[in-house]
Amino acid sequence: MLELRNISLELGGKPILKKLNMKFEVGKRYTILGNNGTGKSTVANVIMGVEGYKPQSGKIYLDGQDITNLSISQRAQLGITIAFQENVRFEGIKIYDYLTLGGKIKKSLDDVKKALKIVGLGEDYVKRHVDSSLSGGERKRVELASVYMIDPKYVILDEPDSGIDMMSIDTINMFINQLREKNTTVITITHREEIALDCDYSYLICSGIVLKAGKPAEISEYYKSMCDACEHPNEIQLIRDEVI
Amino acid sequence: MRIAPDYSKEFEKLAEAYEKSGGDTSNLLDKRVASIIISGDKVIGLNNVDGVEIEAGKQELGVWAKIRISKGKKIPMPIHLCTGFLGKEGEQRVNFEFIVEDGATVNFISHCSFPWSTKLTHKMTAIVRIGKNATMTYADAHFHSEEGGVTVISDTHAIVEENGKYKNSFELTRTRVGKLVVKMDVDLKDGAIADLESKVRGRADDDISIKESLGLNGKEAHGIAKSTIVATEKTHARIVNEAFGNAPYSKGHIECTEITKGADVDVATLPVLKVTNDLSELTHEASIGRINSKQLDTMMAKSMTEEEATEFIIKGMLS
Ligand SMILES: Nc1ncnc2c1ncn2[C@@H]1O[C@H](COP(=O)(O)OP(=O)(O)OP(=O)(O)O)[C@@H](O)[C@H]1O
Ligand SMILES: [Mg+2]
Repeated sequence: MLELRNISLELGGKPILKKLNMKFEVGKRYTILGNNGTGKSTVANVIMGVEGYKPQSGKIYLDGQDITNLSISQRAQLGITIAFQENVRFEGIKIYDYLTLGGKIKKSLDDVKKALKIVGLGEDYVKRHVDSSLSGGERKRVELASVYMIDPKYVILDEPDSGIDMMSIDTINMFINQLREKNTTVITITHREEIALDCDYSYLICSGIVLKAGKPAEISEYYKSMCDACEHPNEIQLIRDEVI
Repeated sequence: MRIAPDYSKEFEKLAEAYEKSGGDTSNLLDKRVASIIISGDKVIGLNNVDGVEIEAGKQELGVWAKIRISKGKKIPMPIHLCTGFLGKEGEQRVNFEFIVEDGATVNFISHCSFPWSTKLTHKMTAIVRIGKNATMTYADAHFHSEEGGVTVISDTHAIVEENGKYKNSFELTRTRVGKLVVKMDVDLKDGAIADLESKVRGRADDDISIKESLGLNGKEAHGIAKSTIVATEKTHARIVNEAFGNAPYSKGHIECTEITKGADVDVATLPVLKVTNDLSELTHEASIGRINSKQLDTMMAKSMTEEEATEFIIKGMLS
């Protein structure tokens, strides 16, 4: 189990996450929903251990082990990975080498082709480069294929649907199901409730707190009715602070 | 090609150096492949094929060579140039002249290998004349000794006539550099195209200095000059890329990427753009500093260590 306990984080002097608690059990599928700027990617960066996102207070546990002070590489070696919201480009690296980490993971060409197929890319992509010659959607798909290749225990998909056209929401759902077949815990960050519906448990984040958590249908419904219309996510926090 | 019997020992040693630098010796011996093999101040092998005329001889401390590609000829296999220096210390001067006549097409693969030299100065000058509608590509890979005692001073002046094409790539990424001074300027006439690229990786106290200059002197001339430098440890690097837009509808782009790793690196880049014709268009792009942290995070999140990720990213950039 991956667990965030009372995580508080300030960035640039501004509180972004406020005593946030989350739990992710093995093999289950989670969604983190929330409007723009509510702190979803920040949660992802905190889980992954990205530089500059070390919480001021609170702890992160993986199967009971405190991993709060581990580096990105160390957490990845324990089986946590992420497909970042923004995907960087690399000069001179072929998709084949990117997916096999330059030979670090021992997998065959067929495995590479299979991973590409799952994200809707043909075999001819093997030789293409992970550079600016790929469109935004193609780059995103390559990142998903890369996640699939490394067989993670926990994966965070930060807005897998951004940059990929509407038609491909099915592709994403299929992709997530493929990961689940490997018993991977999938944490999908999105602000599209149709992606959020097809999971086991949802968290709704609003201005750095878990505003609501529970059954996907309920959370999506709440999000749709309350958050879509809400242009001032911070006000919810203010009201909540007044009440509590 | 036949190697003169008194040079066969020398050839064996040179072949070893050549293979080290990534060359394939069988190409040097293939009769269908035009080639020249230079060791120190001797020409130890030379082969001409239809359409290629290589003349060469000894000169003070080195060799001169004149390579002419006949009008309209398309040379099917790349011409191989192998330049080596087998001694530990000394100086080697090589002067090349390349003449690619109108309408001809040729590719060169050059290897300069000095794996055993602890104190060598290699001076190379080249004059490149590319005729109308002619194309020349030149890929140059260097392999120096790990002691860092090699100094390479290279000076190339290229003239590309109407609608001619010139592509030059220089690579020194697998060994210590030592000291490198590269100067290259290209004079582009109407519709001519040039694509210059250099990739160098510095270690220890390597000293890198590159100056590439695009003279867009003809109408609709196009040029790109791109340098990628990886500077680690105490590397000193100075890169100057210039473009001069002197003719209407000419376009030039210069680009320099310098990656730094190590507390004692000292690197600088200076782009120079000058337009004397208001219909010319010049752009430049430069970045200097540590590896993009998003790239590192992305690879580390796939369980690479920071060192592995750095190496993986740099290898790509220099490939
Ligand atoms: N490094 C940083 N320094 C300062 N502020 C930051 C930093 N990173 C994020 N923030 C701020 O934290 C807040 C939450 O950002 P975050 O990227 O987590 O939002 P998000 O929920 O992922 O939004 P989106 O849906 O747009 O991706 C935003 O107000 C953002 O500007
Ligand atoms: Mg985000």
